[in-house]
Amino acid sequence: MALNVTLRMFRYRPDQSARYDMFKVTVPDAANVLDAIEQAWAQHDRALMFRHACHHASCGTCAVRVNGREVLPCIVPVKKYLDGDKPLTIEPLKNFSLVGDLVVDVANFFQKQAASGLVITRPTENKLEGKPIAYDQGLDPASVETVPFNRFENCIECGICLSACPTMAASVKFFGPASLAALERELDKTTDPQRRARLLELADDEQGVWRCHSAWECTETCPQNVRPAEAIMALRRRIFAQRFGFGK
Amino acid sequence: MKLSLPENQKLRFLRWFDFRSWRVGMLAYILNRVTAIGLVVYLYLHLVVLSILTGGPTQWDPFVALARSPFFLALDVILLAGILIHGLNGVRVTLTGVGVGVGAQKTLFAALMLVGAVLLLAGAWKIFMG
Ligand code: SF4
Repeated sequence: MALNVTLRMFRYRPDQSARYDMFKVTVPDAANVLDAIEQAWAQHDRALMFRHACHHASCGTCAVRVNGREVLPCIVPVKKYLDGDKPLTIEPLKNFSLVGDLVVDVANFFQKQAASGLVITRPTENKLEGKPIAYDQGLDPASVETVPFNRFENCIECGICLSACPTMAASVKFFGPASLAALERELDKTTDPQRRARLLELADDEQGVWRCHSAWECTETCPQNVRPAEAIMALRRRIFAQRFGFGK
Repeated sequence: MKLSLPENQKLRFLRWFDFRSWRVGMLAYILNRVTAIGLVVYLYLHLVVLSILTGGPTQWDPFVALARSPFFLALDVILLAGILIHGLNGVRVTLTGVGVGVGAQKTLFAALMLVGAVLLLAGAWKIFMG
């Protein structure tokens, strides 16, 4: 069975004022929202800007808002949103600069991720932080300091948590849920006191964990169960313990 | 088509108040901010009203009459609502901030707001009938 669906698509170009365009598309019964967006592009407007790559929630590239809520459109079925003739509103993530249509500029976010020290490598890379990786080495707890983790992170850097975070909406300088969660992961990966001190200093920055106002939207929306809010709370406890000498 | 709130750069300062995708945490966040602003405004309003008394002893009776007028009593109930929402939500933020109730923050919020609602009803009764 095919589904007929109307997409109410956010359209924007830097030199034009923004608008919403309506696209009627027909997609298979099992289609996900990304399939519908691709249909709109293929059948109606080849100038439609959107990003995607893997189609299975591992690249984090395609994140948008559907009916106001942040999702990875590659894994949410169109059917979930069907409500009579009501169109599906597709908009870009919030709290990022707009590039065009559904595409936002993620450079600022990635810079923060890099600052957090969370290095994600792909299997084609044979070095991490300058050290060679042997893929058959497995995870030997004794070698945790010499053999870096290779892509053991749940975070796919989709930016959904930044879009959902009201503190981020108030200030783009906020280090942000994903990057703070990355800091917490990095702290788990090292026992080097200097590195730990550096990471905690970053978390303790005025744009760090203390700016979080506990809306918990990051944990609520994260498609990968990274639970950034919990990581922020854990970082606070670490900083507290360090300040007051509880020795964590 | 006219743009909605978050994309409109002129309304950027209001982006934290974008309630279109309300979830419990977002609701708690917005309530906390709105009540905080309300309590600060109230503080100044309170000082302005108190300044009536600088007019000397003759101002006492009119001041009391004003403070007991239904309008001011209603303001007292609103003030109480602001204090309860902000204070109890603050309890949630503090508890989760130190790691207590982290997995149950939505339930915690709902339970605290329920306590707040009961206290507000009791307070409103006392303000108007007491
Ligand atoms: S923490 Fe979750 S929501 Fe945030 S960027 Fe990573 S995967 Fe996406």
